[in-house]
Amino acid sequence: MLKVVVFIKQVPDTSSKAGVNPDGTIDRARAKRMLNNFDRYALQKAIEIKRSVGAEVTCVTMGPPPAIEVLVEGLEHGADYGILLTDKRLAASDTLATAYALHKVVGYIGQVDIILTGLQTTDGDTAQVGPQIAERLDLPQISYCESLTITGKTAKARRVVEGGFQNVETAMPLLITVANSATPLGHKRFIEVAQVKEMLRTPEERARRIKSVSLDDVGADAARTGLVGSPTVVGKTWKLGEVGGSCKVFEGEAVETEVARLLESLAADSRNIAEMLHG
Amino acid sequence: MVKNNVTVVAEQLQGDLQQITPELLGAARELAQKLGTGVSCFLLGHNVAPMAQRIIAMGADIVYLVDDLALKEYTTLPYRRAVLTILKSMADPPPIILMGSTTIGRDLAPRVAASLEVGLTADCTELDIGDYEHKGKADPHKVGTFNNILYAIRPSFGESLKARILGPWKNPQMATTRIGVMQPLPLDNSRTGRIIAVPVTFDTADFRLKVVETVRDVSKAVDITAAKVIVSGGFGVGGVDGFAVVRDLVSIFNEGVVGASRRAVDSGWIPYAHQVGQTGKTVRPELYIALGISGAIQHRVGMNNSKIIIAVNKDADAPIFKFAHYGIVGDLFQVVPVLKRELTKLAKAKSL
Ligand SMILES: Cc1cc2nc3c(=O)[nH]c(=O)nc-3n(C[C@H](O)[C@H](O)[C@H](O)COP(=O)(O)OP(=O)(O)OC[C@H]3O[C@@H](n4cnc5c(N)ncnc54)[C@H](O)[C@@H]3O)c2cc1C
Ligand SMILES: Nc1ncnc2c1ncn2[C@@H]1O[C@H](COP(=O)(O)O)[C@@H](O)[C@H]1O
Repeated sequence: MLKVVVFIKQVPDTSSKAGVNPDGTIDRARAKRMLNNFDRYALQKAIEIKRSVGAEVTCVTMGPPPAIEVLVEGLEHGADYGILLTDKRLAASDTLATAYALHKVVGYIGQVDIILTGLQTTDGDTAQVGPQIAERLDLPQISYCESLTITGKTAKARRVVEGGFQNVETAMPLLITVANSATPLGHKRFIEVAQVKEMLRTPEERARRIKSVSLDDVGADAARTGLVGSPTVVGKTWKLGEVGGSCKVFEGEAVETEVARLLESLAADSRNIAEMLHG
Repeated sequence: MVKNNVTVVAEQLQGDLQQITPELLGAARELAQKLGTGVSCFLLGHNVAPMAQRIIAMGADIVYLVDDLALKEYTTLPYRRAVLTILKSMADPPPIILMGSTTIGRDLAPRVAASLEVGLTADCTELDIGDYEHKGKADPHKVGTFNNILYAIRPSFGESLKARILGPWKNPQMATTRIGVMQPLPLDNSRTGRIIAVPVTFDTADFRLKVVETVRDVSKAVDITAAKVIVSGGFGVGGVDGFAVVRDLVSIFNEGVVGASRRAVDSGWIPYAHQVGQTGKTVRPELYIALGISGAIQHRVGMNNSKIIIAVNKDADAPIFKFAHYGIVGDLFQVVPVLKRELTKLAKAKSL
């Protein structure tokens, strides 16, 4: 049976009011947590593979202890196992350090045929971690993958490129980053949530399905992760300043008058819109 | 000592230099000026040698050329091999390498960075050179003062903040830049430069992935980043039908295209290719008209460099009125027809 690993991440929910300060900054301690939306597409692809050709699916996440929630969600969608890599020394990992740590988890799992990641995260937003895991593991990669067909040990995929698409083919093992233009997310879960709850009720079964591991467990060198192992740091942050400054606003009059005043104002400022119109 | 050049990886598709290339060269030139170095460019492909001179006219001093059948189509591993081979042929690594935040750049740059074990900052909207003092107690081996390093600046995700990312400890400092953000230089055909052909030995493992076919439908592809005029619709247009109003207004402009906010795209009213903003495209047209768009920070970072911004929104307190240049508070369904009529009159007057 194929072994599939899918990397999923827990991110702050910026669409919720909780934990989002008025100035737009996020208070991670108070913010609601959610599964990175891009990773749902990767998870769905993994389950599609499982349904079509049979596979053992393990979801892997790296984060603080609450991140275990996304693994439960992964199991609810039909994954078989979940692994949480959690370790204080991982804090402040940049993409290089994250990919280093995550590739060690693949080694810990053993022989793997297909690795799936989301295209990007909504908090890191780099789209780098997937390809960097592939580099560490010396695997071919298919990024921006929309659709995938598995025959034996070969993967055929369609990927997005600027202004079109590309059909590619490669033998396993490989890494795939799944585009958010892939199959729309289905709402039906592979197995019933209640069933998963039941399954995870006994401590033995829960321990068998979901593991929490440390850097030492996966044989990672702590000096290559976290703050010390990251080649980049965030130097300074600042608020985006207002642009344009004074907006000339027309309101409270008849629409005709407002439009006329807008056009007069543009002309007075030598903003020549007429030039942009069809003659 | 001769200082190594700020370096750009060019992007070409089937012999066409992609828009990002002159943008990267423009950005590299500015950084090089501050560092007192020149600009180098890696040109990879098959039968691409004729493009080298154009790249020099766009601002490069040295073009490293790998012209090989193996690079006819972009695939990750052969391109990765070519970039790493050129870098290995240099005595010292370049201080900075810039690539595009395109499907190619985002595929290739992270692999190169991981192979070199250097930092990479994604999707930058500004680049600069400056100094940095690292005082971290938690990572004592990094402590020090660093001069003339790369400031890679990007919006911090989902937040109304910009962050400056630094990686001064090891060269090259790598970054990808968003399409449409960096400014190309005017083409200067009198510029001269050197072309260095680099032979590359590929490994059979580089060809593990095969491209069966590539389909590009340029006719169908909208490119909002190149448009002179963008009329964008937001959640306020109310539905698919609302976009007819947006299209109607854009139809009177030369070189105009339809843009959209993410909420309109997420609602399924218009395809993603039209999305402006942090997770969409960055645009800087001559004229940007926002219809029924509130002006959330993630939208703003994608369009705030437009020359003229006009907003129509029925809510006088909408944030868009804080940064648009002109605004009408009103119902877009009432304002747009009048605006169109009056602009059409202007156009007629112009053609008289
Ligand atoms: C991580 C992240 C990334 C994001 N990336 C992007 C991005 O790339 N691009 C993007 O646009 N957004 C992005 N967003 C979403 C962004 O935060 C906003 O939710 C979105 O821009 C809002 O779209 P909108 O202005 O169309 O909708 P709304 O905020 O709902 O605004 C609709 C506006 O229309 C006005 N209106 C309603 N009816 C009318 C009418 N008849 N006439 C005139 N005005 C009317 C209302 O007053 C309101 O101001 C992102 C968000 C997150 C968290
Ligand atoms: N901490 C993490 N745990 C698990 N997967 C991750 C983590 N960070 C990134 N990834 C994976 O890498 C992809 C790209 O993330 P990023 O480079 O942060 O945009 C995500 O969609 C995930 O699949």
